[in-house]
Amino acid sequence: MKTADLVQLLISGIAMGSIYTLMGKGLLITFLTTRALNFGQGDFLMIASFLSMTLLLAGTPVVVAVVVVLAVLVVLGVGLERLAIRPLANMTAGSASSLAWILTTMGFGMLLQNTAQLVWGKSRFYSPPLFADEQKKVVELMGARFYLEELIVALVAMVVVGVLYWFLFRARWGKEVAAVSFDKGTASLLGIDVRRVVATSYAIMAVLAAVSGILAGPLTTVQAHMGLLFILKGFAVVCIGGFVNPVGILIAGIGFGIVEAMSNYVDSAFGDLYPFIIALLFLIVRPSGLFGEFKADVR
Amino acid sequence: MRHLRYLVAAAAIAAFPLVSPNPYFINLAQDIAIAAIGAIGLNILLGLSGQLSLGQAGFLALGAYGSGVLATNHGWPLWATLPVSLLLSAVAGGVLGLVALRTRTHYLAMVTLAFGYIVEILAQRWVDITGGSMGLIGVPQLNFGDFQNGAANYFWAIAATLLLLQMLNDYAMRSRFGRSLHAIKESESFALTVGIDAARWRSLVFMVSAVLAGLSGFFFAHQAGYVSSDAFGLDRSIALLIAVVIGGLGSAYGPILGAIILVILNQLTAGLYEVSYYIFGGILLVVMLFFPAGAVGAVQRLFGRRAAGGSGAVPDTAGAGGAGAGAGAGAGADTGGAGVPAQTGDAGGTAASSASEGAAGIAFTAPATGQGPILELQDITKSYSGVTAVNAVSLKVMPGTVHAVIGPNGAGKSTLINVISGLYQPDSGSIRFMGRDITHLAPHRRAALGLTRTFQNLQLIGTLTVAENVMLGLQRGSGFARGWLRWLASDAEERDERAEALRLLRFFGIERLADVLPGDLPYGHRKLCELARALAQRPTMLFLDEPIAGLNEGEAKEIMEKIRGLKALGMTVLLVEHNMSFVMQLSDTVTVLDYGRKIGEGAPDVVQRDEAVIAAYLGTGEA
Repeated sequence: MKTADLVQLLISGIAMGSIYTLMGKGLLITFLTTRALNFGQGDFLMIASFLSMTLLLAGTPVVVAVVVVLAVLVVLGVGLERLAIRPLANMTAGSASSLAWILTTMGFGMLLQNTAQLVWGKSRFYSPPLFADEQKKVVELMGARFYLEELIVALVAMVVVGVLYWFLFRARWGKEVAAVSFDKGTASLLGIDVRRVVATSYAIMAVLAAVSGILAGPLTTVQAHMGLLFILKGFAVVCIGGFVNPVGILIAGIGFGIVEAMSNYVDSAFGDLYPFIIALLFLIVRPSGLFGEFKADVR
Repeated sequence: MRHLRYLVAAAAIAAFPLVSPNPYFINLAQDIAIAAIGAIGLNILLGLSGQLSLGQAGFLALGAYGSGVLATNHGWPLWATLPVSLLLSAVAGGVLGLVALRTRTHYLAMVTLAFGYIVEILAQRWVDITGGSMGLIGVPQLNFGDFQNGAANYFWAIAATLLLLQMLNDYAMRSRFGRSLHAIKESESFALTVGIDAARWRSLVFMVSAVLAGLSGFFFAHQAGYVSSDAFGLDRSIALLIAVVIGGLGSAYGPILGAIILVILNQLTAGLYEVSYYIFGGILLVVMLFFPAGAVGAVQRLFGRRAAGGSGAVPDTAGAGGAGAGAGAGAGADTGGAGVPAQTGDAGGTAASSASEGAAGIAFTAPATGQGPILELQDITKSYSGVTAVNAVSLKVMPGTVHAVIGPNGAGKSTLINVISGLYQPDSGSIRFMGRDITHLAPHRRAALGLTRTFQNLQLIGTLTVAENVMLGLQRGSGFARGWLRWLASDAEERDERAEALRLLRFFGIERLADVLPGDLPYGHRKLCELARALAQRPTMLFLDEPIAGLNEGEAKEIMEKIRGLKALGMTVLLVEHNMSFVMQLSDTVTVLDYGRKIGEGAPDVVQRDEAVIAAYLGTGEA
């Protein structure tokens, strides 16, 4: 492998990896507030990719397209919480209650998949680039040639991760999340509007999925069932990073993307499976993740 | 009664291809039986042990290809390929079960999702072996050498297997195996302290469900003579899940009912392929939100039966068990029900009605007194990130005494309890129980030695009746195969267990509440129920965590009487309690903790006069 190829693979890996990081953060945020993950989060991403692709192809300015996609996804996210999560709280303790959220969020995602299939059909699409003029706009750096788009995707994702980090650890909302995560009853006694915090967390999950979808569109093929892979990778990243460890998720996400780029390069037939198998083995050996979990501060 | 049910089912299976020789219906019936085999496995996993697999299609594929490839490309006979395909799914299940050993529910769901995806991709791309989505063609069909009646023969083979599995399943659900799984699902820390090795059970159940999925795949591969990788996508896993959920999670007949509904639904919606995800996704949402108990639950509600989750798995009496929902054996229930009062009468006849005499029927191993301490703590220290909760505490509990540990809030009592019962590991120090070092023993092993605890926050299993909760304490009995054969032959095992549970409940004066769910009881009765269950474990030493917290005076007095009664029978009791007058009236020895240290010990009247104790605890006001 030449150095130039290596640099190119690294940048591709970092770009995809930062999208996985965003997915992982989305899983994390709803887990904090409701102890539930959105198993249909990949389908949220898929809807965002389709929407932004359609808007961009129709000539909508990027900014407008992003705002529209974010708005639609936030509605979906809040709707998911209202429809598939909140009613479960009233469920009597029994055989189904602790798992019901997996099935309801997954069912919600399947509705989205079917909708996309009806609207856009079953073919694969290529989304136009967001930032570079042409999709194949190539930049040269130290003899390595790579797509500008990928570099910008990684940068945008990092900014989003940073903003989220600020939200969770610097803003008052983060403290409210910590309180709700610790105990809903106590949080409400402290005057925190638990419902609002929970709904907000689902909105943020949706925003993260929207950003991931918008960014992922030009880097991959867009189709109705693309979500599965993203949720799997997002989850793998969360597990490897240590379930509620924000920095761990970032490192694991980037690492996962790089390993994936490398293994695809090495074995074009089955390369995409390697990262999963590695992640599976990892979970068996170290179920608490690379850096363990922050037990004391569960944000 | 169940014999009748199984005989009817066997007759129906035998007659079906003869009554309805239409190949379409026979094929449909095969589909149902194949799906039901996989669904039974998933139901045990999800409904009983509370673990969710989204990758059953992966095990199905291993079973199908394991046999299909060997039989088609290598000419192996099916009797040789079957064990291989089961072994394959068992090994895969065992490896993934390692994850189940140590991680939480949603991890397993996601890990199995990934596993299913990997297998699907391999099946698709490894064309040399699997034929990919073009399929493995010319897979030998299992027709027992009779091509003309091949379909009927195959149906008989699958359906007979299904019936056998259903019989095993019924036993598993009604015996201590099912009760143990319920306990693990609801409260793992509790399960450990009644001596259930939760991790082992969970991974074992996972493996069983993988093997059943593999078996289902085996039958699938040899049904049509054609196996394509398209059959093992995520939608297959979800379809199986839907069958289980629709049927009713954790209910004995849910999987069969669900499989029937699923296959018929597939037939009805065959033309609606475009909206199949709407249908499946919609079903998941609607069933989980509005009918979490599934079809079996709906049927039960219709007939006014107790409709708590998983109730089908735990019929409250032998009579109710006969009324297996949807099995069409309702008529038999009356006769079965008639037998129950008779049994209870027998038990009541041998043990007289008064509590003190009934107590004679309670068995536990009382160690001889005067042989040194039964439990001995040596310099136990435990700290959490810098805060030392228990600091070099030593303690000796003498056999046949009531020993109380008291102390203000934050004194380290809870930590000490969890260290003794094994839920926490101490940082240093040692624990000896009956002369044996148990410092590093797992909680379930300590329970097996006779160190039995109760919980401050009651840990009764909400989906089991009071009597069944007590039976959960009776964790001995025969192995699975022997137990199953005995169960087929007679009701004896279950009847004996129930009789013993009732005897214990009678000691505590709550026998009449045996068939009530714990959630419907007042708090005091729940405490008594937990004591009865602790006693069912035949403890050498009872370890009570705040036995009267939250009780009114009358209830507290009742508990005190019961503990005195147990002491009179030779039981050793270690208790942690806030209520001073309770402790002072009941205990032989009192140990006082403050800020993690032992500040006093002795007989109640001695401790009451101790300056340090008064300053730390009694002086600061009534607790």
